[in-house]
Amino acid sequence: MNGYFIALLLVAVAGVMPFLLQRYFALMKVAFILVISAGSLAGLFFAFGVLSGDGAVVSQLVPLGKVFTLSFKVDSLSAFFLVPIFFISPLAALYSYHYLEKPAHAPRVAVNYFFFAVLTWSMALVAGAANIITFVLAWELMSLSSFFLVIYDHEKSSVRKAGYTYFLFAQAGAMAIFAAFALVYHYSGSMAFADFNVVPVSARALIFTLAFLGFGSKAGIIPLHIWLPQAHPAAPSHVSAIMSGVMIKMGIYGIVRIYMLLQPQGLYAAGLVIVVAAITGVMGVVYALGQHDLKRLLAYHSVENIGIILLGIGIGMLGMATGNRTMAVLGFAGGLMHVLNHAIFKSLLFMGAGAVLHRVGTLIVEQMGGLMKRLPVCGATFLIGSLAICGLPPFNGFVSEFVIYKGGFSGCASNEPLFFLVVLAILSLAIIGGLAIGCFTKVIGVVFLGEPRSEKAAEARAAGGAIRASMVVLAFACLAIGLFPQFILPVVGRVAASLASDGGGLVDFQGIADLISLGGLAFVAVAAVLIGIRFLLPKGRSTTVPTWGCGFTQPSARMQYTGSSFAASFVDFYKPFIQVREHFPGIHGMFPAPAHYHSETVDITETGLHRVLVNPLMKFTARLRRLQHGHIQLYIGYIFFALLALLVWLVMAQL
Amino acid sequence: MMNALFRILIAAALAPFLAMIIVKIKAWFCGRRGPGMLQNYATLWKLLHKTSVYSSSTTFIFRLSPLLGLAGVLIALSLLPLAGRPPLFSFSGDVILLFYLLGLGRFFIISAALDTASPFEGMGAAREALFGTLAEATVFVVLILFERVHGGFSLASYLAVGSGMGIWGNSGAAMVLTAIALFIVLLTENARIPVDDPTTHLELTMIHEVMVLDHSGPDLGLIEMSSWLKLFFFSSFIADLVCPFTGTYLDFIIFGVVVLLLYLLVGIIESITARFRMNLVPKFILTSFALACFALILNLEITLL
Repeated sequence: MNGYFIALLLVAVAGVMPFLLQRYFALMKVAFILVISAGSLAGLFFAFGVLSGDGAVVSQLVPLGKVFTLSFKVDSLSAFFLVPIFFISPLAALYSYHYLEKPAHAPRVAVNYFFFAVLTWSMALVAGAANIITFVLAWELMSLSSFFLVIYDHEKSSVRKAGYTYFLFAQAGAMAIFAAFALVYHYSGSMAFADFNVVPVSARALIFTLAFLGFGSKAGIIPLHIWLPQAHPAAPSHVSAIMSGVMIKMGIYGIVRIYMLLQPQGLYAAGLVIVVAAITGVMGVVYALGQHDLKRLLAYHSVENIGIILLGIGIGMLGMATGNRTMAVLGFAGGLMHVLNHAIFKSLLFMGAGAVLHRVGTLIVEQMGGLMKRLPVCGATFLIGSLAICGLPPFNGFVSEFVIYKGGFSGCASNEPLFFLVVLAILSLAIIGGLAIGCFTKVIGVVFLGEPRSEKAAEARAAGGAIRASMVVLAFACLAIGLFPQFILPVVGRVAASLASDGGGLVDFQGIADLISLGGLAFVAVAAVLIGIRFLLPKGRSTTVPTWGCGFTQPSARMQYTGSSFAASFVDFYKPFIQVREHFPGIHGMFPAPAHYHSETVDITETGLHRVLVNPLMKFTARLRRLQHGHIQLYIGYIFFALLALLVWLVMAQL
Repeated sequence: MMNALFRILIAAALAPFLAMIIVKIKAWFCGRRGPGMLQNYATLWKLLHKTSVYSSSTTFIFRLSPLLGLAGVLIALSLLPLAGRPPLFSFSGDVILLFYLLGLGRFFIISAALDTASPFEGMGAAREALFGTLAEATVFVVLILFERVHGGFSLASYLAVGSGMGIWGNSGAAMVLTAIALFIVLLTENARIPVDDPTTHLELTMIHEVMVLDHSGPDLGLIEMSSWLKLFFFSSFIADLVCPFTGTYLDFIIFGVVVLLLYLLVGIIESITARFRMNLVPKFILTSFALACFALILNLEITLL
């Protein structure tokens, strides 16, 4: 357990140090990166120790005065969630070296680094918490520190609004989580996680639902995802990377932990998770298709991938509920593997978006183009991230989706209603995969390929070394895990086996990893042979000319397909769930004034929430505002009547 | 193992010849004689010897996409049992690898189309992205049905001789619907009428043809080869379901005849139907999804009895 606390201490030191070194901007950044990397390495070392030590459970109690005790326990599930936390944090910090470049902003950067360290620290505490108090304290710290990280550019009102929305949803989610914990405390009378199983079976469904809603709002399930597409674009890119890559996974950790501690019986939990996950996954990617803003698009993709992770977890829960242990182990393993994989490739993609923003100055996809030639390393690594997120072999996304499919297909022989849940899960995964390909070809094609659509894009130059280094490391991880999953899949398999209370040996993860590796390597080998043959053909006879535009004499970059046009057929296909709002005043008269056209896609959960909850509430409270009219005489009248009523009540009570 | 390799090589060699059947049938319906049966080989030879012209807008993705597409289709062929005989490789879960490799090919061909900065290719790419994803849903329902009828999670176990699948097995009725659904998927994935017209040169009406407008020389040759191989792959898939295998050498003859008949059917459909309007194509593809779901429901009924 010492390794855990050493890592936490180092991260805390890394957080405090920037305040002391504010005057020396570059030194502050380098020192922060070094110390947080040291802490993360210590944490990774500790986590792998727990993971490879046959799931040894390490536990510690820290009494705080006589009021309450903090209790920590790092079992294999917690250790597994420590891996993305401690792998992504130093890379995001490294990325920020060339991303936060203005020395005039040094105090703001110091504060940002402080809260970054607090976020990493509190996420590690959430993973290691073993009683309600510790968990809740760490959870709140996590939400608060990330709020301050999001409003880095607090001068812009859109950033502030995004921050407030995020804060609201975080607190609403925390309220649901506290309600669930309060119910548990009511039944068990103790704060410790180990005592959760005394809760009677009848109450478990309600508690699980409350916890699922609370943790799900942090994770980003539909309809509680509204904060995600606002907060991630507003935050600076290294913060988006760690929030999207790691922080929303703590919601998944919460759901899995509550499920494990509570053990709800029957199909209810599995059914709830699978249905919500299917809707989240498909709608997430459909909304992503309709976005113009690169980071908003990536944020919706995070929603989609949370859907995929929950599909895996749901298949695992379904297996547990029906006693199909193979399905349970495979489902949990696929879901957990996707947690790690998504942390890697989503951080990579957000870093790429940040690099593009840094160099082009805008995130609007329709103003980019041709960036692959101007930012070659960022472009190539972004391509690897896109292939990974679509789940295409030979990258890491394929590994986790393969395992989830295996879990789903192993439940095919069951009977209704389980079978319908299994079919829903498998079909959702297939549809999500196809739509993700559609969305990421749009992103790669419109942002990186083709010709630049604006001057800013044409003048972009390559990104800084630290940015490129962090992206290359993550891209390499994607490829390595995809081609050689033998190093990580058995570890995940052991964690999943412990979740399914299986002694191990039911599912041969080493064999699965070997097969995926073989398939990936076979493909790479065949492709390499073909590339070799292709280059043997006389290459000297190839010429380069501008694209043939069927005889247009003045081709322009504006003639290319835009992102909205590419996505238009998809958006049209899913019309009731995604609506397009157009602003077009029209062209009138014989000598028309300059006109403009603007279209955007509308998230129906947001408009729905406004229509169903916010607007009626505002109308009701507006009526109540008539009480605040400003007449002091009537205010004195209120006091008089309140005192009268109290007097009457007291007299009544005496009688 | 060597037998399987031999079978794949014969298949790869025959694919261009079989694709010519469709052209011949369309010609005969028009009262013409059409090109010679070996024309595709001549085209391939010519293309491999031509100069490549690359657009100045393109990047390495454009040069990589034909190679990755062909590699994907080759691996798909090596996982498919031809005439019910064991394929070159098989393992539990190879169906997922197969369809996702085809997806990788689709990703790269769409990206290569957008790479050229041409509005025509962007148009084709946008359509291909939508129609390709719709066909995936059908394929996975079919895979769920296969897993229910006969486990094993691998094409070799589903389509092998004696697996009891196919329209002559116990779930024959469901398999007939499945074969029809898979035929519609064949038309979609291989850019046949009524989903796409492989011969029109109007960019506004094309999907696949317009995406490869800028490829030339050996690249175009490789793309043509992978399209012929993909058509052969899907035809073999359906033929494995439809053929009554006996376990003897007669199987190869039956298999060959059924594949020939499938190509004939594609040719006839191409001759008598026009391409659907663009907004009807998703409905056509979703019809295959509905048929596959009906097949699944039929299978559920049977297990209840």
